[in-house]
Amino acid sequence: MSELDKLLASCLFEIASCDDLQKLDQIRGAVFGKNGKITDMLKGLKDLSAAEKREVGAKINAVKDSVNGHLNAKAVELEIKQQEKRLASEFIDVTMPTPPRPNGTIHPLTKVMEEVAGIMSSYGFVLADGPDIESEYYNFTTLNMPDHHPARTMHDTFYTNMCADEHGRKLLRTHTSPVQTHAMLAHKPPFRFFAMGRVFRSDYDATHTPMFNQVECIMVDKDVSFANLKWFIADFLKNFFSAPNLSVRFRPSFFPFTEPSAEVDMNYEIKDGKVVFGSGDKWLEIGGAGMVHPNVLRYGNVDPSVYQGFAFGFGLERMTSLKYGVPDLRDYFESNERWRNRFGFNYVAR
Amino acid sequence: MRFTFNWLKRHLETDWDIYQIAQKLTTLGLEVDDFCDPKVMFRNFKLARIEHVEQHPNADKLKLCVVADAHGKKWRIICGAGNVHKGLTGILALPGAIIPRSGDVLSHSKIRGVESEGMLCSYDELSMPSDGNDGIIDLGPDINLSMSVGDALGFDGGILDVSITPNRGDCFSLKGIARDLAAAGVGKFVVPDDISSKSSFEFPLHINYEKSDACSCYAPVIAFRVIRGIKNGQSPDWLRSLFRAVGMNSISSVVDLANLWLMDSGRPLHVYDLNKINGQLTIRFAKNKEKFFDIKGQEYVLHQDMLVAADEKNVLCLLGVMGGSRTACDENTTDILLESGLFDPIFVSRTGTFLDITSDSRTRFERGIDRDSCVAGLETVTRAIIDVCGGTASNICIVGTHPKVDRSIQLTKEKLDSLSGYEIDWSTAKKILLKLGLKELSSSGEVSTFLVPSWRSDLGIEEDLIEEILRITGYDNVPEKKIDTQLEGDNTILQQENTLMAIKRLLASCGLSEVVSYSFIKSTYADAFKEKKKVIQLLNSISEDLSTMRPSLIPGLILAAIRSLNYGQSHVELCESGNVFYGACMQETHIAGLRAGDFQDRSWIQSHRKINVFDAKSDLMTALGYFGISEKDVTIKQEAPSYYHPSRSGTVYLGKKKIGHFGELHPKINKLFAVSEIVACFELIIENCDVSPNNIPYNHKVFPKINRDFSFIFDSSVAIGPILASIYKIDKKIVKADVFDSFELENARKSIGIAVTLDAVDRTLTEDEAQVISERIIKFVEEAGGELRKK
Repeated sequence: MSELDKLLASCLFEIASCDDLQKLDQIRGAVFGKNGKITDMLKGLKDLSAAEKREVGAKINAVKDSVNGHLNAKAVELEIKQQEKRLASEFIDVTMPTPPRPNGTIHPLTKVMEEVAGIMSSYGFVLADGPDIESEYYNFTTLNMPDHHPARTMHDTFYTNMCADEHGRKLLRTHTSPVQTHAMLAHKPPFRFFAMGRVFRSDYDATHTPMFNQVECIMVDKDVSFANLKWFIADFLKNFFSAPNLSVRFRPSFFPFTEPSAEVDMNYEIKDGKVVFGSGDKWLEIGGAGMVHPNVLRYGNVDPSVYQGFAFGFGLERMTSLKYGVPDLRDYFESNERWRNRFGFNYVAR
Repeated sequence: MRFTFNWLKRHLETDWDIYQIAQKLTTLGLEVDDFCDPKVMFRNFKLARIEHVEQHPNADKLKLCVVADAHGKKWRIICGAGNVHKGLTGILALPGAIIPRSGDVLSHSKIRGVESEGMLCSYDELSMPSDGNDGIIDLGPDINLSMSVGDALGFDGGILDVSITPNRGDCFSLKGIARDLAAAGVGKFVVPDDISSKSSFEFPLHINYEKSDACSCYAPVIAFRVIRGIKNGQSPDWLRSLFRAVGMNSISSVVDLANLWLMDSGRPLHVYDLNKINGQLTIRFAKNKEKFFDIKGQEYVLHQDMLVAADEKNVLCLLGVMGGSRTACDENTTDILLESGLFDPIFVSRTGTFLDITSDSRTRFERGIDRDSCVAGLETVTRAIIDVCGGTASNICIVGTHPKVDRSIQLTKEKLDSLSGYEIDWSTAKKILLKLGLKELSSSGEVSTFLVPSWRSDLGIEEDLIEEILRITGYDNVPEKKIDTQLEGDNTILQQENTLMAIKRLLASCGLSEVVSYSFIKSTYADAFKEKKKVIQLLNSISEDLSTMRPSLIPGLILAAIRSLNYGQSHVELCESGNVFYGACMQETHIAGLRAGDFQDRSWIQSHRKINVFDAKSDLMTALGYFGISEKDVTIKQEAPSYYHPSRSGTVYLGKKKIGHFGELHPKINKLFAVSEIVACFELIIENCDVSPNNIPYNHKVFPKINRDFSFIFDSSVAIGPILASIYKIDKKIVKADVFDSFELENARKSIGIAVTLDAVDRTLTEDEAQVISERIIKFVEEAGGELRKK
């Protein structure tokens, strides 16, 4: 065995038995360093003849390449091993509980108002608004409820300590209908408006809160009819409750601001303990509707000999409770954590 | 209106059953609240007679009875009622019976060790007025045991309970309801016979009727009659049983008969005991502060626009509203005065509302009674009283004059079709109106004029007639007709509403849950948040807790927070949008947020801390972010309303407009609401956040930014916010200036590390340029009181 062969064998042995990157570097230094064995051999070439130089040089280079190749391969192997070891030492218990992230909820009424606004807008109805503190004139008179009209006593009205003005005493609106008048006065017919918001009545028990929300809708044109009203309400409710087969029943009723007037029912049944809308023959009242009374049009500066229209008003809490199963009305305004978690909506829910 | 089916049938010849009638009434707009078929209601009930009574072996107060039905079938019953005796015929409930009062199903039971096979019922258990009879029902010795329970109790074919809308005064009577049903094709309306009683003597009383305008306006006509020699006592059995079945209290024959007629025809009458009237009777306005005692003896203080009937000493009756105790009829009454008037609805309503009196009479006058019924009503009741109580009648005395208010309404087929939206057969439509009692005065082609009957004061315009036609035809028969969809119009308000909704969603993404609170709060809470503004109070609030319009959204949020904190939550995060109220008529839309207690749940991954003013500030700035407003666009001043912590709160200005507040709450507020946790809040005034979108130049190429950090020492009192804001103004290339480090030093000084980002947007900034800007920043901050720390 030549010296070169011996060197190669010993190098390969050392490399193979090396288990540390640092040691591997020492091996590399001992072979290729300034005074390394192969470096020394290469230095010794200068003393040889040209022919020997070529022959010996080629042999040394072959050994050099071989050793180098093994060193590099070992280095990769050791690096991988080292990384594996480090990663293993970085163990973390991923079963630890998830760190908190903020997660607020949207009130179900807000969600329903968004839904209602979406549906109304799709028919070309425009949102209108009015103040929560109204005058007697707008809350009653313009809605065809003159002084001492029995219907005024039906609305248990909250009056404020504000000074009365030419429009009478200041009160908390008992319905969203005054918005009809404000909107009519501000625009020229034909028009389609809807309004949503808080209304107030002096009533507080299991099924009444002194504040609740309504959605109001009015459409005025030359030939808007009761038949249109029936279609529109049915279509609106079908959309809102996602119940394409929903049936709507109109029952004659009385409201001072509409003539003819109707109460609106929709059909449902209870299947497996759940309320299903649009099937069955039970009826559930959802709101009031009718053709706008000519006096109401007059107060809105609309000529009833030319224009006619329909209007309706539904309770938003009732719609919300029916759609999303919210049980107690009072919880809408006196909610606690558990209620919000159960009936609130995630902030991206549409 | 609660009445028996057979009573209704006295006015209506029909072969419809109670179920069909109930359904029809609802489609006519006479909503049936409740109805009962006695055959169903009294399934498992029987008439039974007590054959034997003995003491319960184990209970002093209980009796062991043997009862038998008409067929001699016997049951052993345990009964604790005081009136149990042999021979009593009562109502026996057998197992399976549903007891009306409780809704429970009766089952076999053992009472003190002895089996009871059923129960003898009291009126109360059947949800019927007991008239003071506490014991079990005693149907009297003459009752036929084989009668049905319904018949024995006067249920007379069943009970219907109908709620009447305020416009239908005429349907506050059996007659009116029957007329509506007949018009809708449910049989034939029975027109009552004209009744008149012969007068046996001259009307003996002098009636003074002030012929003032007001008097003739509020009480245009009143008819009187005297009946002498009656025997007033308990009403006959048929009447008492009818009253009990419909839930009315029986008082005495004359009063019951007047009430019967009120129900039957809708015509209120008042009965005075003639011998209790002192001298002449005067129809006049009350004197101011004059006193009146109603039938139950309750005192009322009247004022001068109330119309009364008075004798020479006292007010006897509040006309149209309530009779008085001074001339109330009792068992000794022999001579009576009947009064049948026409009173103005508004006047009656005003008097009733002012004194807070509701009565059957008021309900009917308010809604409008048959204007022509004064005399007919008097005649019918006279006949009924004479038939039951005996006596002889005087002639009828009428004061005032019957107002002639013949109202006619024109109906055109064109309007009928247009308003209803489909074509209705013209002759059918007219036939409906005729059946309802209208008269066709003239007709030409498809235009007719109708005379409104005296009992339909609610019909005044063409639309009213159209409603009648649609109602009787059935709303169900009106087809549904599509409207066209149009998409135009000004949706500014919707956009405002969407803004609120979007901000709430944004805040929810930061952990704030939306709540909806009452618009009114306790006045002490309102006072703590009103600042120098005037709060708006309710004159008739439901309770002190809901008495004052909220001047801020924060009290409502605190109350909502308490509902969580008091039940073990260590932290709560809430927001609300809505109107606040103050001043003359000010309504402002706010969004507010609240955090209380811990900052998030305690967690192993982060150190635990309480919330503070900066959490509120972050929430507010997040909300402002929706408008594209960032901290460098606003001015923040170390000031805030007095409910905030005076040195841990701020106000945000956009130009000169105040757009919001934030801060920790003042401890006095914590104390007021009894909240121990730290609370931080913000309020955002939406109306003032009106910003036009700013057009920052955009370059799609990205160039490297240069970051520079500076450390300065300041006096602790120097406000850093304005310095940062001013740094932006030094050069447009300063795109970000932020504090990365802050700590207190000795001698009331602080170290503030400021990180600045430079970006030329359209090219790479050179080191030299960055150096120039850096020096300008240092120079500016030094002039503002900072001292650059040497490295």
